Amino acid sequence: MTDKITTYEPDNSIKNGYLSLFKEIFLEVWNNRWLTYQLFKREFLSLYKQSFIGVLWIFIVPVISVGTFVLLNNSGVFTIGDVGVPYPVYAMLGISFWQLFAAGLVACSNSLVKAGQLIVKINFSKKSLVIASVGQSIVAFLIQFALAGSLFIFYGISPSFATVLVPVVAIPILLLSLGLGFIFAIFNGVVRDIGNLLSIFITFLMFLTPVLYAKPSAGILVKITRYNPLYYLVSLPRDLVLRGSFTDWGGFFYGTILSVVIFVACLFVFHLTEARVTERI
Amino acid sequence: MGSDIAIQCSKVSKKYCKSLKRSMLYGISDIARNALGQSSRSGNLRKGEFWAVDDVSFDVRAGETLGIIGSNGSGKTTLLKMLNGIFWPDRGKISVKGKVGALIEVGAGFHPLLTGRENIYVNAAILGMTKRDVAAKFDSIVDFAEIGEFIDSPVKHYSSGMFVRLGFAVAAHSEPEILLIDEVLAVGDLSFQNKCMRKLAEIRKNAKSVVFVSHNMESVQVLCDRIALLEKGKLLYIGDSYEAIQRYASLANDTRYQSMKRESDKAPAMGQHISSGDIIVHKLGVLGNEGNEITSVHEGEDITVFVDFKAKRIISDPNISVAIRDERDFNIIWHKNIDRNIHFHNLQPGPYRLKVTFRSPNLEPNVYRVVFGLKDADTGEYLEKITLDSNVFKVTGSRIPRGTVLCESDWELQPTGI
Repeated sequence: MTDKITTYEPDNSIKNGYLSLFKEIFLEVWNNRWLTYQLFKREFLSLYKQSFIGVLWIFIVPVISVGTFVLLNNSGVFTIGDVGVPYPVYAMLGISFWQLFAAGLVACSNSLVKAGQLIVKINFSKKSLVIASVGQSIVAFLIQFALAGSLFIFYGISPSFATVLVPVVAIPILLLSLGLGFIFAIFNGVVRDIGNLLSIFITFLMFLTPVLYAKPSAGILVKITRYNPLYYLVSLPRDLVLRGSFTDWGGFFYGTILSVVIFVACLFVFHLTEARVTERI
Repeated sequence: MGSDIAIQCSKVSKKYCKSLKRSMLYGISDIARNALGQSSRSGNLRKGEFWAVDDVSFDVRAGETLGIIGSNGSGKTTLLKMLNGIFWPDRGKISVKGKVGALIEVGAGFHPLLTGRENIYVNAAILGMTKRDVAAKFDSIVDFAEIGEFIDSPVKHYSSGMFVRLGFAVAAHSEPEILLIDEVLAVGDLSFQNKCMRKLAEIRKNAKSVVFVSHNMESVQVLCDRIALLEKGKLLYIGDSYEAIQRYASLANDTRYQSMKRESDKAPAMGQHISSGDIIVHKLGVLGNEGNEITSVHEGEDITVFVDFKAKRIISDPNISVAIRDERDFNIIWHKNIDRNIHFHNLQPGPYRLKVTFRSPNLEPNVYRVVFGLKDADTGEYLEKITLDSNVFKVTGSRIPRGTVLCESDWELQPTGI
C-alpha cells in the first residue's frame, strides 16, 4: 500500500500556501497526459462518428464565411482594404488562426458542463478535460491550414520559409484561448448564461479584429486594433506565412505577455475553484 | 493518522442549497472567495441551505469493508463522493491513504457512439489507470465483461447487461487500494452478480479497504465487517453489522408508519369503508395496558384492539370480525366472535366500546393495521366494514424482520451418509 495521504478539507489551498500550488498544478497536468489524450480522442471520435462527411465539416464553416466576404467584396458592399495577396488566401489563413482562439475558447467553456454527469461521478483531473477540448480546435486549425495551403497552390504563390515558425508563434493565442477557457468553464458550470453570452461576444470580437479584412487605417477601429492583443496574435503568424516578416513585434510581445499572464492567473483560479464547480454543475 | 487506518473522517459536513437560483449565487460567491484566496466560510449555513451530511466522524481500517446504509436522502452518496474527492467537505477533514477508486455508476464515462474497445481505453484513463495498465489488462477486461465480438460495436447497441458488465469490468480492473462502491451490484443477471461478488471478494482479500453503499441489506450484511447507519445526514450508529441493520429496520419501520399515518390524514384514506348507516364507528385502534390509545406494541406482547361505535338500531345477533393485516394486505390474524361461540344478542342502540385482546401474537417488527367488520348474523346484512389504512400501528423489536411470524428456532446440520 502506498503511503500517500490525500486530504480533503475546506480552504485546502489556503492552508497549504500558494507556492506549493504551482508544483501541484504542473504535476497534475503532466501526470494526466494520457488521460488528456484519451479525453481528446473521446471527444474527437464522438464528434464525427455519426456523420456522413465527418471531418469535412471543419472545412465547410470557414469556406462559407470566407466565401461570403469574397462575395461582399466583389459586389462592392464591403471594402476589405489592401491585403497584398489574393484575398481568399489572406482570409483563410486569418480564419484558421482566429478559430484556434475562438473554437478553442468555446470548446473549453463547454467542457465541464458537457461532462457534468461524469465529473459528479468519477474524480478525475478536470484540467485534463479543459485542455483536451483545445485539441479539437488544434485539429480544426491543421485542417484549415492545409486548406489555405491548397489555396497557395491554386493562386501559384508560395508561402515564406518563416512558415516553419507557425507552431511556435501560435502558442500565445493558444494560451490565451486556454486561459480564458479555464475561467469560462468555471463560470459556465455555475451559470449557464455565460456560455450563451460568450458565443455572441466571440462573433462580435471577430468583426472587431482584422481577421477577414486588412488593418484599418482610419476611424475608431484604429484605436481598438492598437490595443487588441488578438490582432497581433492572429496577424503575426499570418504575416510570417505570407511575407516572412512582421512589422509590429512590440505589439506581438505585448500580446504574448498578456496571454501568459492571463493563462497563469486563470489556471490558478481554476485550480482553486474546480471542486466548487462540481457541486453546482 | 494511524498506520492501519485507510480513511479517516473527522467531523465532516456538507451543505446543499434547496433553490437552484440561490445555489448559483452562492456558487459565484464561493468561487470568488476561493479565487481571491479568502476562506469560503463554508462552515455557516446561508438562507435555504441545509446539512446533507452533518458532523460525521469514522475511520475505515486497512483491509476492512465498511457498509453505509440509510434511507433515501440520508447522505450516503454525498458522503461517498466526499471520500472520493468529488465534493469537498464544508466542515471537517477527510484523510485517505492510498489510491482511491470509485464505482458510483457503472459505465458512467461511456460514450454511446464509441466502440467497446475505445470506451475501455477512455474509461480506464478516467478511472486513473495508466496506458501500461490498460495494455496489460485489456484482454482480462474483455474476458470478464463477456462481450466477445461486440467489442468493436458502438456501446449504444449493447444490451443493458453488456453495458453494465463492461462498466464493472473496467472499474474492477483499476485495482484501487480503496474501493468505493455505490449500489452497483443490483445490476445484471444472477450469474454476473455472483461474478461481481467474487471479484469484490478478491479485491477485499488483497488487503484493500472497501466502502460499500447499498440498499440491499442482504449483501451489505454478508460483505461488510462493520456498518455505518446514516439518517438525515447524521451518523446514528457505526459498528456491528447485525445491530446496524436492525436499527435501520426499526428506523424504516418508523418511517413507514409515519408515512402511512400521514397519507391517511389526507382524505380520502386508502382502503375500504362500507357502511349501512346503522352502525357508526368513531374510532378504532390499539390499547395499552393502562387503557390508553397506543401506536406501537413490542414484539410478543398482547395486542388489544378497540372499536368505539354507536348502534343506531337493535342488532339481533352481531357477527363481528376483527383482523390485523400486514402491508401486503394479508390477514395475519382474523377473529370472529361467532367462531368462538361468543354472542352479543339484541344489541341495543347506543354507544359501545369493543375490546379484543389477541394473546401474544408473535409478529415480527413491522407496520400493521386493524380491520373491523360487522354483520347481522340473523339477516346476513353487512352493516359495517372498515379496512382503512389510517388504523395503523407498529410492532417494535430487536430483530431484523424478514418474515411475519416471530419464533425461536433450533438448528442442526449433520451429514446423512447418502
